[in-house]
Amino acid sequence: MRPLNWLETQSEATFAYVLLAPAFLLLAVIAFYPLLRTFSFSLLADQTAAPTPFGEFIGFDNYAALLTGEALLPQQFFDPSFATPILQQALFVTLAFAILSVLFETLIGFGQAIVLDQDFYGRRWVRVAIIIPYAIPIVIQAMIFYLMFNPTVGFAAEFMQGIGVFGNNPLTNATDSFIIVLVADIWKTSAFMALLILAGLQSIDRGLYDVARVSGASPWQQFKYITLPLIAPALLVAMLFRTMDAMRIYGLIDATAGCQTVPSMSCLVITALQNTRRWATASAVAFLTAVVIGVLVLLYLVSLRDTEAGVT
Amino acid sequence: MSEQDRTDLAAMEKTEEPDLDRGVIEAWAAKMISNPERAYRATFYVATIFFLVTTLFPFYWLLMVALTPRSDLSSVGVLTPGGFNPGAFVEIFTRLPFHRYIFNSFLIAVVATVIVLFVASLAGYVFGRLRFRAKNVLLLSVLVTSFFPPAAFFVPLNRLFNQNIDILRPLMQDGSLYNTPYAIFIPLSALYLPLSIFILMTFYSQIPDGLEDAARVEGTTRLGALFRIIVPLSAPGVATAGVLTFITVYNEYFFSSLMTDGRPGSWAPMLEGILRFQGEFEVLFNLMAAASIVAVLPVAILVIVAQEKIVSGLTAGAVKE
Repeated sequence: MRPLNWLETQSEATFAYVLLAPAFLLLAVIAFYPLLRTFSFSLLADQTAAPTPFGEFIGFDNYAALLTGEALLPQQFFDPSFATPILQQALFVTLAFAILSVLFETLIGFGQAIVLDQDFYGRRWVRVAIIIPYAIPIVIQAMIFYLMFNPTVGFAAEFMQGIGVFGNNPLTNATDSFIIVLVADIWKTSAFMALLILAGLQSIDRGLYDVARVSGASPWQQFKYITLPLIAPALLVAMLFRTMDAMRIYGLIDATAGCQTVPSMSCLVITALQNTRRWATASAVAFLTAVVIGVLVLLYLVSLRDTEAGVT
Repeated sequence: MSEQDRTDLAAMEKTEEPDLDRGVIEAWAAKMISNPERAYRATFYVATIFFLVTTLFPFYWLLMVALTPRSDLSSVGVLTPGGFNPGAFVEIFTRLPFHRYIFNSFLIAVVATVIVLFVASLAGYVFGRLRFRAKNVLLLSVLVTSFFPPAAFFVPLNRLFNQNIDILRPLMQDGSLYNTPYAIFIPLSALYLPLSIFILMTFYSQIPDGLEDAARVEGTTRLGALFRIIVPLSAPGVATAGVLTFITVYNEYFFSSLMTDGRPGSWAPMLEGILRFQGEFEVLFNLMAAASIVAVLPVAILVIVAQEKIVSGLTAGAVKE
């Protein structure tokens, strides 16, 4: 009997499992299994000199060392006094980046969505222009901002020094670099927020606005009592996706200021791995990153449930 | 002052009112106040122009850097290049085999897209059209993988791909997947699979059952019905998933930068090529800019051609939840 004929005689559930097999095989090898291994690696001791990078089982000592600041990781420049534990610095950088970038992207994305929601000649081309930054490779986004803030070629470095915000070489200063990375990210990903907010705006029944106008509502009141509550679920989903993505920031930092200057959580994993060969500590940081993102996702899902409960 | 004079003065004031010496701005403001629609219109145009300039200016300036000869790089202006040297666009291919990097990136993106479309078609069909008990649990486990950061998978994968596996020896010189395209497109296919599954699931579930039943009565197998009826009828959905996967894989940084040693012969993707112009002895800013422009062209063209697909795919992927 040929395999295809065999498939014909099976129940719908068996057929479903057979078709799902390739997807779950791929996910098991690349996602589920590595995730569990990362956790089990993080419970082992580091061996920086031996041929195998992992030593004996030490339980949660790696986590304890990271949280108390005793973990031996390449020193970073964000806190020049080296007083703050590196994990706290990375956590602060990552969370601050996620919160600030999502906040600005939501505001700018809202503006872009309102523009794209109008009917005007050439709307298609304005939309292309707004989407293009979102579709460009991370390395090219990084190159643009690296060149702009480079003291030799860039005009932006000179301008920011002129108004007294940046120092001499912004790409080696932690605070300046953080701002540059933030601006680069806002430039690229506001379009994503704009598209999702636009989808929300266009699903609103236009009749509601007619009713509001007849009842004498001002544009601000229309926005506050019709637009905002109705797009809140779409807005929260978009913000959830952006937060998850912002928490993984790595490439943009690596190609502009470098992971030593702006240490994000993902950066810390790679520097621990490559510069000091501390594989177990790197695994612990990686797993902590996943845990932090998980907590944020839960927070979003709870508030999403609340808004949906409030609407109905 | 007599009563007569006073009325005259009042009359004079009235007639003079429009002739008051107003600046352009005051006149404009007065018009806006008397006609708020115009004010909204003006704000709209200002906002549109602002967004167009902020999104497109960086590309324009990148071109200015690329056109500046290396000796004049410190004189690149905000709007003008510091000289004229289109030769940079030729030099990027002679100094480094940049075309090879682009080819590597293309190959990785195309292979990953084909894998994702095939695997996600099967899974999307199951989640969109079949009914069985474990469906919601399995769908949730697909969703969960997309929230973990790539760093959470990296340490074991790095170890796995650096290991010498004997059965791979005939294929790879040393039997390890490091420095091969497999080390990039296998993880990326898996990580971008969930998005395509959600997009295809939505499209496949909208095909009427009758069409599939008719094909089955005519004697097609279950898989035949999927690939001859469901997939062709959902062509826009398949195109959407394909375009988005191609763009995200082509743009990816994390695995692309960590799974090869950066040499063109080791299947290093385009991003390594661009970073290589940050050479050891001198930083070739104009070549970095020129290479960036060349590497951005494929995605820019794809966005212009397929913008509807990208918009519908991004919104479908997110709203699905």
